[in-house]
Amino acid sequence: MSTANFTVPTVAANPGNTDDLVEKITVKNLDFYYGDNRALKDINVSLYHGRVTAFIGPSGCGKSTLLRVLNRMYDLYPNQRATGTVRLDNDNILSPSQDLNLLRAKVGMVFQKPTPFPMTIYENIAFGIRLYEKLSKSDLDGRVQQALQRAALWNEVKDKLDANGLSLSGGQQQRLCIARTVAVRPEVILFDEPCSALDPISTAKIEELIDELKEDYTIAIVTHNMQQAARVSDFTAFMYLGELVEYGETTRMFTTPSDRRTQDYITGRFG
Amino acid sequence: MNSSGERPVVDVAFQGGGAISAAEKVDRAKVLKRLRFGDDAFRHLTRAAAIAVLVILSGIIFSLVYGSLPAIQKFGIGFLFDESWNPVTEKFGAIAPIYGTVLTSLIAMLIAVPIGLFIALFLTELCPMWLGRPIGIAVELLAGIPSIIYGIWGLFVFAPFLQQYVQPFLISAFGNVPVLSNLFAGPPYGIGILTAGLILAIMVLPFITSISRDVFDAVPPMLKESAYGLGCTTWEVARYVVLPFTRVGVIGGVMLALGRALGETMAVTFVIGNAHRISGSILAPGTTISATIANEFTEAVGDIYTSSLILIGLILFVITFIVLAFARLMLMRLNARLGK
Repeated sequence: MSTANFTVPTVAANPGNTDDLVEKITVKNLDFYYGDNRALKDINVSLYHGRVTAFIGPSGCGKSTLLRVLNRMYDLYPNQRATGTVRLDNDNILSPSQDLNLLRAKVGMVFQKPTPFPMTIYENIAFGIRLYEKLSKSDLDGRVQQALQRAALWNEVKDKLDANGLSLSGGQQQRLCIARTVAVRPEVILFDEPCSALDPISTAKIEELIDELKEDYTIAIVTHNMQQAARVSDFTAFMYLGELVEYGETTRMFTTPSDRRTQDYITGRFG
Repeated sequence: MNSSGERPVVDVAFQGGGAISAAEKVDRAKVLKRLRFGDDAFRHLTRAAAIAVLVILSGIIFSLVYGSLPAIQKFGIGFLFDESWNPVTEKFGAIAPIYGTVLTSLIAMLIAVPIGLFIALFLTELCPMWLGRPIGIAVELLAGIPSIIYGIWGLFVFAPFLQQYVQPFLISAFGNVPVLSNLFAGPPYGIGILTAGLILAIMVLPFITSISRDVFDAVPPMLKESAYGLGCTTWEVARYVVLPFTRVGVIGGVMLALGRALGETMAVTFVIGNAHRISGSILAPGTTISATIANEFTEAVGDIYTSSLILIGLILFVITFIVLAFARLMLMRLNARLGK
């Protein structure tokens, strides 16, 4: 708990009841700038292995920005910079010496819209694996199958692995993207509103999948859908205007939020 | 839409209440009729414009075929394979200009396609913003230089430069390598097939660059980010995501450039040497179809001479057509391989 200061919201880096959990990612005093615009203000938050952390908040509050710091995706663009520390295990990933390709192999990301690569279903998965490992054809086949099974897509595509990834339905494409992410064996998976372009049935499948995946990974999900946050996450962080307003166990956040703004947001009074 | 202009300010229909009056119905019918007329006129106008293309195209083909009939009748299919070009004995053959046209364009594409793609990739994926604009503008300026300027520059500056520095080096470097020694044989003239190919490469570079830059820019950022998100390097993103995603546009740009290279006249005429013969060396002078026509049309006396020139024009037309068809075929193959 930070020191008592009544003008600044009390933000816990530790959401409570985390004694037996392993801290995978620790964000400390993170500020983020788009040019001169400060989009994230002094963010402190921890993500735990085997748990799903949801980031909620109105549009423009900085949740996607925070996610893009965790794999340094912002690095692709000039004029975007982050200060503070973000520790993945014990390495500060914000340090300039951090190898970005290695980091992104460890921290996978699934985007708002399905983004299959312009190649076959098989190649979509094999592509990522080949970046890091040199496997025989049969081993590679096995890994592709494994990844597709993991993403609950295998039964639907096993007979058309040579079809273009774009020929799948939206929900299938998104699961293909999840399979692609899982295939390179990351440690952390970031979901940036993964269901915002999907119908309810596909959404349910993705949520189920996230629930199955969380055993083995550290998962962060940004969502506009509060029911979704309540359904899939163990911890929830509420962000507003670039600040982390409140962070805690999902059940508590949705029943007895301690901050007025959190309560207003989750009851639908704004946002 | 009120033609009389006397309707009350408060529109009954707009208020959502009841039916409109009989007078208003008449008004509306008039307006609709006028609109329908406008629509018809628009449709006919656009159709006429589209048909005009077909008419012009068939007109050109017809006049080319008609004009070349005497030559076709005299030389037959042998025209395509005959190297001689003798206005005095009126013995003509097209293989030398065909060879020159295809070879100069091939050299140009071999050089310009990779360089153009690299420039476009640099501009879209790697370049800091302050450098991107000047380079982009420079590329566009390159496209704006009239071909006569390229010709003059090629003849007076570029060819002597090649003759003095580059060609002697090529000749000595490849002199003992089999195959290549034939390709780079003979005295360094300066002007010749290679020089024309290089000038063409510079001329078509802006086409390839600006078209590929535009299509690379159109790749959804999220798609690139997902590749970067897997840990791809910029090269891998370019090679496996950007290029496959934009292949149709890129091939379109390359074909446009190739079309330009095949037909380019002025600059090539200056630097190719205008010799109607085929020699194995790319340092030797040669000619292209368009250069031959431009050089000789004014002095072409006699029906067979003129007709032969028109016939090689027709052949150029056919070559361009084959290139386009080939591009289509290539695209279909690519799509099949990508499993679409």
